Amino acid sequence: MADAALHGHDHDQRGFFTRWFMSTNHKDIGILYLFAGGLVGLISVIFTVYMRMELMNPGVQYMCDEGMRLLADAGSECTPNGHLWNVLITGHGILMMFFVVIPALFGGFGNYFMPLQIGAPDMAFPRMNNLSFWMFVAGTSLAVASVFSPGGNGLQGSGVGWVLYPPLSTREEGYSMDLAIFAVHLSGASSILGAINMITTFLNMRTPGMTLHKVPLFAWSIFVTAWLILLALPVLAGAITMLLTDRNFGTTFFDPAGGGDPILYQHILWFFGHPEVYIIILPAFGIISQVIATFSKKPIFGYLPMVYAMVAIGVLGFVVWAHHMYTVGMSLTQQSYFMLATMVIAVPTGIKIFSWIATMWGGSIELKTPMLWAFGFLFLFTVGGVTGIVLSQAGVDRVYHDTYYVVAHFHYVMSLGAVFGIFAGVYFWFGKMTGREYPEWAGKLHFWAMFIGANLTFFPQHFLGRQGMPRRYIDYPEAFAYWNKISSYGAFLSFASFVFFIGVMFYSMRYGRKITVNNYWNEYADTLEWTLPCPPPEHTFEQLPKRADWDKGHAH
Amino acid sequence: MPYKISGISHPTAPGKSGAAEVGGPDRPLHQITLWPHRSLHRTGFAWFIGCTAAMIALPLFTLIGSPVFWGLLPFILLTIAAIWLALQDSYSDGDITECLTIWPDKMTLVRQGPRNKQARWDANPYWVTPVLHANDGPVPNYITLRGGDREVELGAFLSEPERVALFNDTRDLIRRLH
Repeated sequence: MADAALHGHDHDQRGFFTRWFMSTNHKDIGILYLFAGGLVGLISVIFTVYMRMELMNPGVQYMCDEGMRLLADAGSECTPNGHLWNVLITGHGILMMFFVVIPALFGGFGNYFMPLQIGAPDMAFPRMNNLSFWMFVAGTSLAVASVFSPGGNGLQGSGVGWVLYPPLSTREEGYSMDLAIFAVHLSGASSILGAINMITTFLNMRTPGMTLHKVPLFAWSIFVTAWLILLALPVLAGAITMLLTDRNFGTTFFDPAGGGDPILYQHILWFFGHPEVYIIILPAFGIISQVIATFSKKPIFGYLPMVYAMVAIGVLGFVVWAHHMYTVGMSLTQQSYFMLATMVIAVPTGIKIFSWIATMWGGSIELKTPMLWAFGFLFLFTVGGVTGIVLSQAGVDRVYHDTYYVVAHFHYVMSLGAVFGIFAGVYFWFGKMTGREYPEWAGKLHFWAMFIGANLTFFPQHFLGRQGMPRRYIDYPEAFAYWNKISSYGAFLSFASFVFFIGVMFYSMRYGRKITVNNYWNEYADTLEWTLPCPPPEHTFEQLPKRADWDKGHAH
Repeated sequence: MPYKISGISHPTAPGKSGAAEVGGPDRPLHQITLWPHRSLHRTGFAWFIGCTAAMIALPLFTLIGSPVFWGLLPFILLTIAAIWLALQDSYSDGDITECLTIWPDKMTLVRQGPRNKQARWDANPYWVTPVLHANDGPVPNYITLRGGDREVELGAFLSEPERVALFNDTRDLIRRLH
């Protein structure tokens, strides 16, 4: 290949099928991930809307043994179908944890923007990238198929909760449970391959001069996330493989009858599960950092503390897992340790929150749509973090364990934290990815509807939890009716805003105003993707970028 | 700078002590070696694998003495092996050297790698013209060497300012021969 290639310019001549089904291009794969994540998100959200319909009033109106209903009918008999309820909460959890947030944030934005921000021409292993995406699609199909295949109680689907605790999961009948396990296997393998790809790209393909202390914060967040995936998901894969052999091959890893220990499953599940929470939220941290710096028109405050706070959150995430299981009968010393370690995480998280506020301090804040989402993220994530501190207390946790207080807490952190991060990223980079503008009023309307809706849904759940309403039940006593009704109204408003968002996206992709400049925000959007046209050409940074394009002295 | 010029000396003074290894009857006057930038140093690789292995061993420690240990171990080992191999593979993707060797009457360009690929070009320096294509190449400031049986590229993987510097160095070396 030493021959000169003076006229070797290739043009994008790929057909639709070749481009989207056989793609090895990191930008195309990123877009595929975003679309697929959005679609699975819609399915998973429809589950919750149905659940909130059921919880709107005491008694069971929709999920009947006689058949699922869309309209309540007091005239006909309705025997509560608890299995259907359990299947829906399991499906919602598994889909959201494995098939919506990781693909959207890590697979979508990570694939698209991490290589651009470090000036790499593509991912280190483009074909493996394609494999990751299609494994994720196959996993999703299995997860959805599991809902419709023969499961426990002689009905369809498995209702064991997304954590798949034995003995529930090992004793669930039918093959629905096996399909769910395979779905998590595939999604795990997809994420691990993706993580290997991201790590290799990040470590070995940064442009000359871009040392680790000069990498943009979003790229850093993707690297830390990839590292967490690499460390946590193999543990999950091992754990569920043992579940599978316990179910099908008569092993007794988690069965006390054969000398196994079901609590051990909980330990390894949460050894994965707690880092998973940070896997979900860290890319959102990265996006929010970029958005806040751009719309405050100031470089990010405390770049290095921001980086090391992310690393610290990642590392600490691995040593706090048992705070999810204070009630399994650990010794006092163990509980004290996990309690203290958990509270220590508030320190790096606090560093991040304070640095974001300090970035805005004295800045010239512009309330464009992405910034609204960033504000929303900051507020809601902090609320979720504060209830997290409450729950970290082993003593207090005994009261709140398995109540709606926990549901409210983790939805504030994940549903409102990570999802607001996703939306901030979508609006921030929409023009960059599509070359078209979205209507600003529509983005703002979406934000306000979602912000009010989400708060209306989840804030009352704190009250329900404090009143003692347990989670994972289809029905509740009359005493909890008031806040449940309000929570359901909030869910419907959020759902309406999500449907509106889908409409806005498709409208803007077709009819939005065309963008002609490279950087449609301002000079504080100073990472490398803003030096490229909108949308970027098929091949980017095949020549190394100029240092002046990314090394802004003021940023550090 | 990912290129290195060895044995720069004026061709009329080959016997000087500083240029002892070049300038003999069969020895080349100059040699320019080029390689692409890789951002992960070998020490960085060791640190990364070390930290990863240490962190991922944590759940294993909690499982010592339980059969679950053996259920988990293969997955952990597989992961470490996979990231190790991936990083090594990425190193070998960038394992390219271009070596331009100049004798008074001969010039060769040998491109090694990636993965045992090899390409070679020979020419007489008298007829060789280095050309800098500011805009019409696949990359800005694309360097080619005209002469011999075909036109070849030089250092397409370098960064833009590096290519300009390399072009000036190469042109000066060839000019001094003429």
